[in-house]
Amino acid sequence: MAAITGETRSWLQRWLPQLVLSPSFALVILFVYGFIAWTAYISVSASRMLPNYKYVGMQQYSKLWKTLNWQVALDNLLVFGSLYIIICSLIGLLLAILLDQKIRAEGLLRPIFLYPMALSFIVTGTAWKWFLNPGLGLQHTMQSWGWESFTFNWLVNPKMAIYTVVIAAVWQSSGFVMAMFLAGLRGIDHEQLKAAQLDGATGFRLYRRVVIPQLGPVFLSAFVVLSHMAIKSYDLVVALTGGGPGNATEMPATFMYSYTFTRNQMGIGAASAMVMLMTVVAIMVPYLYAELKEPKHVD
Amino acid sequence: MSTNSQHHGQSRVLRVFIYTTLIVFAFMYLLPLFVMLVTSFKSLDEIRQGNMMALPNTWTIEPWLSAWGSACIGMSCEGLKGYFMNSVMMVVPAVLISTLVGALNGYVLTKWRFPGHKVVFGLLLFSCFIPFQIVLVPMSQVLGWLGIAGTTAGLVLVHVTYGIGFTTLFFRNYYEAFPTELVRAAMIDGAGFFKIFWRVLLPSSAPIFVVTIIWQFTNTWNDFLFGASFAAGESAPITVALNNLVNSSTGVKEYNVHMAAAVLAALPTLLVYVLAGRYFVRGLMAGSVKG
Amino acid sequence: MASLNIQKICKSYGKIEVLKDIDISIDHGDFLVLVGPSGCGKSTLLNMIAGLEEITSGDLAIDGERVNDRHPSKRDIAMVFQSYALYPNMRVEENIAFGLEMRGVSKAEREQAVAKVASMLQIEHLLKRKPGALSGGQRQRVAMGRALVRDPKIFLFDEPLSNLDAKLRVDMRTEIKRLHQRLGSTIVYVTHDQIEAMTLATTIAVMKDGIVQQLGTPEEIYNRPANTFVASFMGSPAMNLLPGKLLRSGDDYAVKVGGGSAEEALLTLPSHSDKSALSDGQEVMLGLRPEMVTDPVSAKAIGHDTVNLQCPVEVAEPTGADIYAITRIGGHSITARLRAGLDLRAGSTTEFAVDMSRAVLFDTGSEQRIA
Repeated sequence: MAAITGETRSWLQRWLPQLVLSPSFALVILFVYGFIAWTAYISVSASRMLPNYKYVGMQQYSKLWKTLNWQVALDNLLVFGSLYIIICSLIGLLLAILLDQKIRAEGLLRPIFLYPMALSFIVTGTAWKWFLNPGLGLQHTMQSWGWESFTFNWLVNPKMAIYTVVIAAVWQSSGFVMAMFLAGLRGIDHEQLKAAQLDGATGFRLYRRVVIPQLGPVFLSAFVVLSHMAIKSYDLVVALTGGGPGNATEMPATFMYSYTFTRNQMGIGAASAMVMLMTVVAIMVPYLYAELKEPKHVD
Repeated sequence: MSTNSQHHGQSRVLRVFIYTTLIVFAFMYLLPLFVMLVTSFKSLDEIRQGNMMALPNTWTIEPWLSAWGSACIGMSCEGLKGYFMNSVMMVVPAVLISTLVGALNGYVLTKWRFPGHKVVFGLLLFSCFIPFQIVLVPMSQVLGWLGIAGTTAGLVLVHVTYGIGFTTLFFRNYYEAFPTELVRAAMIDGAGFFKIFWRVLLPSSAPIFVVTIIWQFTNTWNDFLFGASFAAGESAPITVALNNLVNSSTGVKEYNVHMAAAVLAALPTLLVYVLAGRYFVRGLMAGSVKG
Repeated sequence: MASLNIQKICKSYGKIEVLKDIDISIDHGDFLVLVGPSGCGKSTLLNMIAGLEEITSGDLAIDGERVNDRHPSKRDIAMVFQSYALYPNMRVEENIAFGLEMRGVSKAEREQAVAKVASMLQIEHLLKRKPGALSGGQRQRVAMGRALVRDPKIFLFDEPLSNLDAKLRVDMRTEIKRLHQRLGSTIVYVTHDQIEAMTLATTIAVMKDGIVQQLGTPEEIYNRPANTFVASFMGSPAMNLLPGKLLRSGDDYAVKVGGGSAEEALLTLPSHSDKSALSDGQEVMLGLRPEMVTDPVSAKAIGHDTVNLQCPVEVAEPTGADIYAITRIGGHSITARLRAGLDLRAGSTTEFAVDMSRAVLFDTGSEQRIA
């Protein structure tokens, strides 16, 4: 290549930062936003097994809403999501408070609560599937220890199967919520705690009146992260229950996958994906907007 | 500091209660792992007769050997080792590329601000949070067009694309706190864009590199959705192989092999976690708690 | 209001001794200021009085009662913190009343108490706000309100003015002094600012490295510092310390500063000074505050035992109210304070009058005051 002229060089210098950023930007614009638009189009097209770009308006969406599996999936998401968020938050807060009591073994305990986060959901699902196996797992073990009438066959019980997903998911994520609360607890001004001591607020009252009210932002962050994970739940359900028994643990993510790839209903699948996206947007966008905009509080 | 004074401390009873609760919880967290390990060393007979929490009567490493080298997954009966390698070959490039790109992006977005940088960052950031179901169909089409459908290279592209949002976020937050005066001083000294990155920012970036690499490694290794959607066959990563092994095996369910396989799949990320746990936590926190 | 007795108190963290044999006693109504550089142990001592830190050995008594093992909330003390430590999730009125609430005081009584304190500190209009919506100065008042409402035996202040800007600091200092005069409370106040110490205290404890260097009234600390540390720490600009040698002739002593080929200065001590600790040939440090080295006209107004010297002016720093001149006596640079309006040029020589009646002498080796 011939020598770069002075003009070209200074043009490069001027635009270098943006040039460096542009591959990522282009990638994301195409593969994220472009694909979203693409899927959006599929959701208003007549696609079944393969994409068919004939426009059909909201037909796929109305079909979606009439599909029983989708109703089940939404119900399950609501049940699973609420329990998952609430229980993770409670356990996370409890463990964080306990660990904050100058526990000597904290360095040992904290990693124990957190290690499940390092596992793939497939591994978690596989492990819990075994653990809750009625014939060979928990139920069998309890019975062989003498508790003859113990039953824990939730895994194969259509009414209760969704709760096994909750158990496995809480096991995986509560350590993370604990870490968030622990950081929040430790971020509280020490002098406030001294002042509270002088005021005579100790133990339970200290937490209820002074500490926990200040953890608002942490509760919010936990909610955002957990609800996001709940909506995306796919791997865990596949490994733990496969969506079953029957369709008892169908979730929007598993619904989308099966309708798009195995049931040859790509249009409906795309519509379900769009609904999932809308839900995530509804939660994330206000949160991100608030976080990005707001200048730091004057302390 | 704890929210409770070390001096006017708690009663003995309370202390005991706290420790007991923590230990009970620790037990519950460790139990599934324990059961997995213990099952993986038992023979099938023992599993059928015995109770899942008991230690093996006779320890056997057959399940492990089988999981690694001879278990039947899909068409072939060569165990997990091939798929383990697939994962490795997918993870290494994906992590390196997305981390490096994220570093450069973070650098640009904090030290070379341009009009519209907030919008660009916002768009990149949001890409972290989309449900990936939304891109499955288009991506499989595009991978097909590019001729890399069903290959490890395809997965690398996918993971890089959807990892850039996170890595940029991490580096951007880190470089935000990095004194801009140092960059300006270097500019006055005559250093250009890349020189400044290389000589001024990079040397101080070790902590965030560690955090980002660990985060990306964990997410990419543990992924299932992309693996199942884009590389279900020969180039499948280990998570897909594990699921195939456990869920679509016909005939006798070899639980011990399944458990060994699950541990094998979990080993790399667990190891990383054990060795560099606190960086792992920092990654979790940086990615979700802003500010 | 109460008396406070600190007897032989020591504090160690493991093997590290942080406070050694602290002995301080004050009566009710006293304003004790603990002053010293960072790390001297003053905040630690304050925290121990409050009960927020354990006392390793020694006795702490409030109103004659030993309180070493009593919980902070049971010592009848209140504290104002450096960062104010207001509870961000509660309104100002709730912040102030929180301690009362924890003690089970009824709502009506609480409201009354809060109203009274709020009017005293002029923060009635802030009662419904949250700390995040207040300025630094306003938060400081709320923090004081929280302490006042408790009507405690002793008030503790931990560097309460350090986070305020200079002007506000001066205003708040005066307010604190006014409150003390009005309420007659017993106060223990920690600061690193010696001006705050001088203006607020009835008793000052100057601390360094965990030891009380000197305990006394502001006047004692200023005019008769116990050692060279106290002499140079208190007072701004710092006291001049000139190394020299004592020369005796008959019953009189003089300090010879400098010597050999360098300029020599001979400063005679007033005949009425206490010479019991002095000896001929002793190596000493002569302590002269800047206001004691001044122009002859001002000197006539100050004191009688003056030594007049012709000295070069190295630097002249007019402040508007005075002129600080750096000059040399016996080869050593010192700061002198002269009246404003004098025409001083750098490099010129002028007459200085040194008031020896308030000069202090320190033994060079022990650094202790000997006269």
